Amino acid sequence: MELLEYQAKSLFTQIGIPILPSESIKNSRELKQLQIPYPVVLKSQVRAGGRGRAGGVRFVDNTIDAIAAAQAIFNLPIMGEYPQVILAEARYNTEREFFLAVVLDYELKQPVLLGSVRGGIDVEALLENMKMVVVDTEFSPFYARHLAVKMGLSGQLIHSVSTIIEKMYHLFREKDLDIIEINPLGVGADGKLMALDGKISVNDSALFRHEDILKLASPFFSDTNLLSLENVAKDGEVGIITNSKDLALTTWDLIAKGKKKVSLCLVVGETSSGEMLPPSKLNQQLQMALEQALTLPELKVLLINILANAETIKTVAEAIANYLQPPIKPTAQGGEDRMERLTGTLSRKERKSLSSSKKSEKKQVKPIQLVIRLVGADIEEFKQLLVTTPVYWTENLEKAIDKVLSGSKK
Amino acid sequence: MNWTGQVVIQGITEAIAEHAAALMGVYGTNIVAGISPGCGGQKIQDIPVFDLVEEAVSQLGKIQTSLIFVKPYQVLDAALEAIAADIPQIIITVGGVPPLDMVKLLRKAQATNTLILGPGSAGIIIPEKVLLGKFEPQFFTPGKVGIISYSDILTYEIALELNQAGLGESIVISLGNNGIIASNFGEWLPILTADESTQAIILIGQTNGNYDESAREYLATEVKKPVIVFIPGLDLPEARIKGDAATIIANQLSYSLPTNKTVKDLLIAFEKVNVLVSDRLSSIPNLIKKLVKN
Repeated sequence: MELLEYQAKSLFTQIGIPILPSESIKNSRELKQLQIPYPVVLKSQVRAGGRGRAGGVRFVDNTIDAIAAAQAIFNLPIMGEYPQVILAEARYNTEREFFLAVVLDYELKQPVLLGSVRGGIDVEALLENMKMVVVDTEFSPFYARHLAVKMGLSGQLIHSVSTIIEKMYHLFREKDLDIIEINPLGVGADGKLMALDGKISVNDSALFRHEDILKLASPFFSDTNLLSLENVAKDGEVGIITNSKDLALTTWDLIAKGKKKVSLCLVVGETSSGEMLPPSKLNQQLQMALEQALTLPELKVLLINILANAETIKTVAEAIANYLQPPIKPTAQGGEDRMERLTGTLSRKERKSLSSSKKSEKKQVKPIQLVIRLVGADIEEFKQLLVTTPVYWTENLEKAIDKVLSGSKK
Repeated sequence: MNWTGQVVIQGITEAIAEHAAALMGVYGTNIVAGISPGCGGQKIQDIPVFDLVEEAVSQLGKIQTSLIFVKPYQVLDAALEAIAADIPQIIITVGGVPPLDMVKLLRKAQATNTLILGPGSAGIIIPEKVLLGKFEPQFFTPGKVGIISYSDILTYEIALELNQAGLGESIVISLGNNGIIASNFGEWLPILTADESTQAIILIGQTNGNYDESAREYLATEVKKPVIVFIPGLDLPEARIKGDAATIIANQLSYSLPTNKTVKDLLIAFEKVNVLVSDRLSSIPNLIKKLVKN
């Protein structure tokens, strides 16, 4: 989980890394009570990069300008994200700007200290000057000094910069971080250091043992949320529900090879770190996933692709059968519903959600082809429950894909 | 690696452990003890439970393998306890272990020369002979193809294909998934290379994972058997390499900057060492049939 700049800076303060006087603002009116003397810089608190170029960072000289600028920033989405908070910060004149980071290197399986004497926004220059020290045993401050010297620093700066790196490393270790980064680290004319911007990313799997950081997360954050793969095509005709991210990617890949677009790809029963959830949780997520899938107007084919042990597959088959089974009594929602059920293709959930949405009421609902692949147990008894619903059943992945590709043709 | 010796299950009171213990019981795995602090003296599926690993060792003698099923945040401690009790092989079946815990554990394991699989490893299966971990044996049949994999579900998928083609599996190793993984392709290729019943090797990678450079060198010089690699979701925008520190920083600093390493580069690197890259699970059995014949 990536922290916002103002959250990262509050952690910097806790461990004694110097930052400028700043205040976080949730509403432009709060600027009237601003304690920091002008001029100040207002910074949009979003996770996306390139906020400066996008207009999310503005310099202001008085309260009137500040309120106008803050209103503009609050209304400016950056990569689709609106800021909830603006950070108002004093301005600082730097002589030089450095880059410092501690990162977990997944290839070396060790933490790595990184530094560049060309910090700031010129990424190419930054990377060209990047130096690295691998922390391959218990950390000791000499690793930090080693980096400072490699960066080409001399005199007092070796000491002051390595002290900052040391503090960064301790925070990295204590809070299970993936990344801690200061960019830029401003160097004043007097050699004084100031962390002007920073990034902290906490490893998701360790989050639940850091209550202070968990408090900063969105209240909806959970590693057992229904996992939805990104980069789907909104106008895609195929939906995928599966029980593992790897299987989701493999399935999606096969559909993409068949030149079809995927508009929804959901993973049920697996945590973000790849752990299996118990069958009851899987079923709960499966229902949510079906609900989500069957309300997509462009969807032509829905592929449910689940492989698991016998016990899990049986509970999944039962849940699917219960969900898709035509209701025994018509739900008094008007004649249209009945017509649709006669075609025998839609679930009651879909009808409910479609008729509750005014826009889609008049739209001709096209039947959705269901392709279900459940591997791991004999599920004949559950198939019998769905004899009136046209479902293509197969245990073979390629056959399922063939059906998806032919079923999504016009 | 010693498949036979005595086995303990740390965290035997977890539901997944009980399920796995039952399957291993059927397979004849030599599980001599379960460990669960506070449950010492009980029995689970006829397996005696101890409070400490040390107690099991002093009563039962040398333990060869520990299977760790405890909660993710207790994995480091459980593994250190196993190492302190001189257990030379550890399979961490739980995933979601904080990476810095793994860094610490790996440093210790290196010093004691302990072999670790995982975290998030389903373990090892030699169909109808050896079952260590939480693999579902129903998906495997004895045969001639060895598999080393970062993805359990895709291991089952490929096993289904191999079974259908009459090839079967000789030995299957699950490396685990996500984060810092203790042992990679490089550590296990020599075992499959030396294994006489293995005629071909399949490597199943992970799209956003880490790949060991050492494996590539070994593949180029030591492995004479056909090797096929499959990586899920190659053509998808989701596919990103987590990789090394410099790449992580480059990705982090700018979206537009091209990353140093792409999945495609990895594929080219694999092809250079005569490893076939397959982009379709169902085509792998035929590839193997051709290669094994030649």
